[in-house]
Amino acid sequence: MKHLIQLLFFICLSVSWVITASSDDSDGCIACHQIIDEDRDDDEKIMTHIMEDVHFQKGLSCSDCHGGNPNAGDDEDEAMWDVDDFVGAVDKKDQPRFCGKCHSDPEYMRQYSAHIKTDQESQYWTSHHGQKLTENDEHVAVCTDCHGVHGIYPIKDPRSLVYHMNVPTTCKRCHSDKDIMANSGLPTDQFDKYKSSVHGTALFDKKDIGAPACNDCHGNHGAMPPTILSISDICGTCHANNAELFKGSHLREIFIKENIKLCEGCHNHHDILKPTDEALNWSENETCSHCHSDGQDKANRLAGTLFNIIDSLNNKIEEAIETVDLAENKGMEVSELFFSLEDAHKNLIQTRTSIHSFNEEFVRKTSEDGYKAADAAIIGAEQALTEFGFRKKGLIVFSLILTFFVIVLYLKLKSMENK
Amino acid sequence: MKNPDRKKFLDIMLGAGATAWLASILYPISKYLIPPSVPDSNVTNVDVGSITEFPPNSSKIIRFGRKPVIVIRTKEGDFKALSATCTHLDCNVQYKTDTEQIWCACHNGFYNLEGTNLSGPPPKPLAQYNVRIANEKVIISSEDMS
Amino acid sequence: MKLYDWINERIDLDSAVKFATKKQVPVFYGTVWYYLGGVSLFLFIVQVFTGILLILYYQPGATTAFESVKFIVSKVSFGWLIREIHSWSANLFILFIFLHMFTVYFAKAYRKPREITWYSGFILLLLAMFFGFSGYLLPWNELAFFATKVGSDIAGAVPIVGDFLLKLLRSGDEVSGATLTRFYGIHVAVLPLVFTLLLGLHLMFVQLQGMSVPPEQENLPHDKRKYMPFFPNFATRDLLLWLIVLNVIALLAVFFPWELGQKADALASAPAGIKPEWYFMFMFQTLKLIPAHVWFIEGELFGIMMFAIAGLIWFLVPFLDKKANQGKRSLFWKFVGIFAIVFIAGMTIWGYSV
Repeated sequence: MKHLIQLLFFICLSVSWVITASSDDSDGCIACHQIIDEDRDDDEKIMTHIMEDVHFQKGLSCSDCHGGNPNAGDDEDEAMWDVDDFVGAVDKKDQPRFCGKCHSDPEYMRQYSAHIKTDQESQYWTSHHGQKLTENDEHVAVCTDCHGVHGIYPIKDPRSLVYHMNVPTTCKRCHSDKDIMANSGLPTDQFDKYKSSVHGTALFDKKDIGAPACNDCHGNHGAMPPTILSISDICGTCHANNAELFKGSHLREIFIKENIKLCEGCHNHHDILKPTDEALNWSENETCSHCHSDGQDKANRLAGTLFNIIDSLNNKIEEAIETVDLAENKGMEVSELFFSLEDAHKNLIQTRTSIHSFNEEFVRKTSEDGYKAADAAIIGAEQALTEFGFRKKGLIVFSLILTFFVIVLYLKLKSMENK
Repeated sequence: MKNPDRKKFLDIMLGAGATAWLASILYPISKYLIPPSVPDSNVTNVDVGSITEFPPNSSKIIRFGRKPVIVIRTKEGDFKALSATCTHLDCNVQYKTDTEQIWCACHNGFYNLEGTNLSGPPPKPLAQYNVRIANEKVIISSEDMS
Repeated sequence: MKLYDWINERIDLDSAVKFATKKQVPVFYGTVWYYLGGVSLFLFIVQVFTGILLILYYQPGATTAFESVKFIVSKVSFGWLIREIHSWSANLFILFIFLHMFTVYFAKAYRKPREITWYSGFILLLLAMFFGFSGYLLPWNELAFFATKVGSDIAGAVPIVGDFLLKLLRSGDEVSGATLTRFYGIHVAVLPLVFTLLLGLHLMFVQLQGMSVPPEQENLPHDKRKYMPFFPNFATRDLLLWLIVLNVIALLAVFFPWELGQKADALASAPAGIKPEWYFMFMFQTLKLIPAHVWFIEGELFGIMMFAIAGLIWFLVPFLDKKANQGKRSLFWKFVGIFAIVFIAGMTIWGYSV
């Protein structure tokens, strides 16, 4: 009998546990806060996107981050204030540690993904943002400033504030704000410069998700401006050839000695424009003369030579395009010549890249294939034009023969009818 | 007809005209009938050379119709053929013999030998082509469209 | 002359020559219209010869058709010429058939006893248009691919048999390599056979019955009417005109070549400004103008029905135009003819101007 009572007691206990545990949607926090939200302004509402939040999606609820007792019912004290581990709105300076409770714990995070990173917080403390925060400067970004608060999406989700395409606008929220940046000594024009740069237009206008956003050069959690030396490695992650060539050039040592940032020295940083061949043109462009004064004949000469190599290849290609177009407009079948034009154009890009060696011989050698390809296109197009001339001549001959035949036939007809 | 000479002359001219005209028609036709020495540009199959031209762990870029195709022979001796146009900004890719990967020098994009984009900016994999060996020759073909 | 005699002894050539020389062609202001049928015939002969030459190199099939045409125009010597002549002559062929038909119509040449000639001529026109439609696809380029898609779609809108027609034309639900093979067979085997037989009949009727003259000429007294022998007088004039037409085609072929364009790709989106061949333009444009629904029937279906009815009326003109058989002109049918010309010309121009 005693055992039976014990058994009944356990059954009741486990049933009640199952009921409370399975009633997620009757989570006390959500139930109350949804009602509270109704009276709040839109920007103060916290529950709007909670259901889409990645944490909520993975089965976590309010109390898993904020503590408290979701089963306490209407009593606020019992639900929040009297519970030891309860954390309400998080202080800014505590924010990284608050997220780090879980995100810095490899054992805990492993259950969500086998290769999930847990170094974000430790990286953060090494970043400019993190260092300033330890100095009690709260004009810096913490986790939530970039990732959002109660509507955090995975980074691959286009709705995420840190989705690749959204990164620049997210950074801009603070970095283009003069008030926030007032004490930092940093400029606020990076976004505008970036937007019109070759990278910005690729990302925003061409929607090229391969184009770098802020974090691709500055890092994410360990965000820092790159140093003189690291910059070539950073640019080199994508511009591998250019970086490699420059590494082997004689200019590298000089740049380091003179304290000039490697790539930035010529290309700038946020407003990196699509380089033009004219950048090598001494008289019209300051790219080189910025450091090399006019008197430096050697540098002047090299730039001029490099410019000429590229410019004449460019002209050659343009001539080839014109000739091929001319043949095509005459109705000749020249589609195969477009291979050569394509080859020539690819070589032009290679030749432009090769100037990072600042070695005349190397650049000249690189451009050879381009000349060959352009020449092949010109020869082919000229052959097509000759063929067109042949067709015209053939037509004339044919017409003459035909006209003669027609006239004689006509005369014959007349003479027959006059009989 | 008053002048029999004139009639005769006219007849000769008529014969000459007709012959010349016929010749001007038959000449292009006879030329047309003889096929050109260039082989038929059938681009469903491209013969890219004999096996011996491909030592293991090497590659070659060839033309397949209008498109460049990279033909790779792996260390193990297998052949792979993939579109050589990088899916990022249309540069030509190359085979990196050290890592045995396909590399686009323009923005440092990497693909594996199945064409899958591994790292860097390329948004899509490279298209694959079929490779078959016939009589010691390497022949590339695309998937049949029909 | 020995050869002539040799043959003549066996198959009475003399009577054929006698027939041709005795045959009289009426000479009056309308004689010039008689040449149009001859030019159409000549263009058909050009089509047969250039077509046979093209077959020598053409390879049907989704992966080979475009390439082989490109091969013909770029690699084979004078291949471009053969293809250009075939394309240009095809277009002129249809143009001259139309001109021929309208002159016949206004000359009332369809009246008794030449009704069957008219019927056969009308069917020849339809066959010629189908020739054009099937041949247009063969280079397997982008424009042709989508034009065929649209064209066969219209066939699919025909009530009851539409689905059958669509599948029959496309050899499946979509325009594909199988459609190309089918069109090739139709273009080089079925149509030439049917067309040649019917054309033979058409020409035989013309030869047997002689040239028709408009009612006014027929009513003239005998001594006021003039003639010339068909052979050699009229035939030589025919030949002269044919030679000139050939030269014009050669000129067009060199200076206004038809572009090959891009290879067809079933997955590519339709190129902008896709238009059918010009001789289908008036129908295409009309179908575009008809609202989505007319009363309770679908607009497209309504348009097709209208064209079918109009075509049937046009076909049956010899039967419907009672006055013509009495040697009189009917004002009503004159206006029908003018309306047809204005409609076709207007719609075609409209179709190209938008």
